[in-house]
Amino acid sequence: MNRRALLGGLFAAASVPALSACASGITSLDGRGDAAGGGGSSKGGVTIGTANFTENQVLGYLYAAVLKAAGVKVTVRPNLGTREIVIPALEGGDIDLLPEYQGALLNYLDPKATPTEEGAMQNALTLALPAGLQVLPYGTAEDSDAFVVTRETARKYGLASLADLKKQNGRLVIGAAPEVKKRRVGAVGLKDVYGAEFKEFKSLDSDGPLVKGALKKGDVDVANLFTTDTDIEAEDWVVLADPEHLIPSQHIVPLIADRKADDTVRKALARLGNVLTTADLTALNRQVDKDKKDPEDVADAYTKQHGLAK
Amino acid sequence: MTIDWSWIADHTDDLTSLTLSHLEAALTAVLLGLLVSLPLAVIAHRVRPLRGFLLGASNVLFTIPSIAIFVLLLPVSGLTRTTTVIGLTVYSLVVLLRNTVEGLDSVPVRVKEAAKAMGTRPLRTLLTVELPLALPVIMAGVRIATVMSISLVSVATYIGDGGLGQLFTDGFQRNFPTPVIVGVVLTLLLAVVADALLVALQYVLTPWKRRRA
Amino acid sequence: MYELFKNLGTWLVSSSQWSGPDGIAHRLAEHLQYSLLATLIAAAIGLPLGLLIGHTGKGAFLAINLASFGRALPTVGLVVLVFLAGGLSMLPVYVALVALAVPAIVTNTYAGMTAVDPDVKDAARGQGMRGRQVLLQVELPLALPLILTGLRLALIQVVATATIAAYVSFGGLGRYVFDGLAQRDLVQVLGGAVLVAVVAVVLDLALSGLQRFLFRHRTA
Repeated sequence: MNRRALLGGLFAAASVPALSACASGITSLDGRGDAAGGGGSSKGGVTIGTANFTENQVLGYLYAAVLKAAGVKVTVRPNLGTREIVIPALEGGDIDLLPEYQGALLNYLDPKATPTEEGAMQNALTLALPAGLQVLPYGTAEDSDAFVVTRETARKYGLASLADLKKQNGRLVIGAAPEVKKRRVGAVGLKDVYGAEFKEFKSLDSDGPLVKGALKKGDVDVANLFTTDTDIEAEDWVVLADPEHLIPSQHIVPLIADRKADDTVRKALARLGNVLTTADLTALNRQVDKDKKDPEDVADAYTKQHGLAK
Repeated sequence: MTIDWSWIADHTDDLTSLTLSHLEAALTAVLLGLLVSLPLAVIAHRVRPLRGFLLGASNVLFTIPSIAIFVLLLPVSGLTRTTTVIGLTVYSLVVLLRNTVEGLDSVPVRVKEAAKAMGTRPLRTLLTVELPLALPVIMAGVRIATVMSISLVSVATYIGDGGLGQLFTDGFQRNFPTPVIVGVVLTLLLAVVADALLVALQYVLTPWKRRRA
Repeated sequence: MYELFKNLGTWLVSSSQWSGPDGIAHRLAEHLQYSLLATLIAAAIGLPLGLLIGHTGKGAFLAINLASFGRALPTVGLVVLVFLAGGLSMLPVYVALVALAVPAIVTNTYAGMTAVDPDVKDAARGQGMRGRQVLLQVELPLALPLILTGLRLALIQVVATATIAAYVSFGGLGRYVFDGLAQRDLVQVLGGAVLVAVVAVVLDLALSGLQRFLFRHRTA
């Protein structure tokens, strides 16, 4: 715990954009040391898994596009399920690489983890990961969880921040993916940190048609969405502020099995991480969700356009 | 709800590979189901005390939701094709066991006694007399198991497999009907074609039925 | 494995697990409601259809093939399709469950009708009974055992499949299966599965008991 706090403090200062340099510096502090640089090999091909929401498919195919361009043989297995399902699959060897999110991943690995700043989180992740897995340098793009209400609900109950939820304890219905019921950035943390208790938790989906439909219809008052969802702005929904920093910042970070992490993979994913911005990712998500384009096509077009693939 | 024809035209390769993967899962499950159910059916048919237990146990298996079986297999076989196939095999097994036992029961006792009187050994009787005579009922089971498996494969989409079922979750997440419609139609087509082929196979396998007709 | 079943025991008997909107009692009631209503609707469609085909002998080929077509319908696809067409309600779930149940009811009703001895029907007509009287007073009672078997089969399948309601945000015992999958909480998944199986087996035993009671004077 002490060591983590210390390292967290050290790297809190050293975060921000010099990403590849900074982040690879962090990874080399990894207890498994240089094994991260050698040992693994992507020669036999890399299987990329993705979780059950649009953005994760987009990221998976972006990873695939840059890896292919680097001469790695890739297979993408889209839409496998929640983090709770895909990480054991990564440990079990069914897949080798996952697009992940710093804060949520850290909460999954260590629910008591305190770092909320990206450098410190990267570091804490390295310590919290089980043997055989590692995180690669995190990218520029961010996507966080958001708890969202309609403009009308915000007005009716006087909601502007998560701290306001407590006043309405037992009155509001929250809607989110089923796993969020047990997650810290979810029902657990909302209660622990903000004292918020809901009338009901409705199991819906990850920023998908169910949760957004339920929010629109008024079946739920508070909905868990992602900050990269353009519908939040389009529908004039209100993102509740988070004064206690329950929701960590979340840079996108590749989580990979040691056995596949070689320099080819690192370099290719680091380049993508530096190029892809939050705005880019938001636009790509939109193309898939609204224009019904394939995540694979969208990813290929993007990587070509930005010189990441031919 | 309109169909986006250009999407279909752009995805013929994907649709072909999903269809093949769908078919492979269903057929493997039926074949494995046959392999397991045949000996079990013979036991259930011959050893009366075990009959109730075997049929009862398989009927209970049938009441467990398929998605639960897939999820409960995750610690054993992970997010793999194996999980899908084992899950589907369980269901095909139930149908096949029931029909095979029924088929063996339908063989007239006189015929079996005649074989015995001619000095035919039990195993030979089973293979050359009982099973061929039970074939129509067994084949009826194979047809039901095949159609059912083809329809059930898509449930495995919840564990990242599921062949054409992937079109359902994809269309659902993106509010996009075209892949869903295509998935339903292709599943039905697969079932109809597979069923017709099985009817043809049965025709080939039971020449004595033809002569009578 | 042992651990899983031990935890299942704890899960099933803990009183907190039984109360509240996500409690077993409420989920059980929802599940029964979905299953019984879907089977009733399916019976309202399938029974007249099966009786008509059996009575007139017309359209049998079509009906039997449609039934096997219905068996091939992928439930997940059907639920999603109706959801996309009509929005979020229980309708997608009921459509899928009814589509699943109708074939079993039609084929068994038809089979029951064809099993009625033609001589008996002739005798009834000879006594001056009209078509409808023959159907209701002779054929239907004689076909009843098989008709009930069809209803039983349909109900069991519907109970197992009603788990799908949870996929589109509704309740029932499927909630435990889908939530347990998302949370990788296998105890919850197993709990849901066991409860579904218990409901199906109990309903099956109850219905077959009823069948035996009703037809206790008949020889099989």
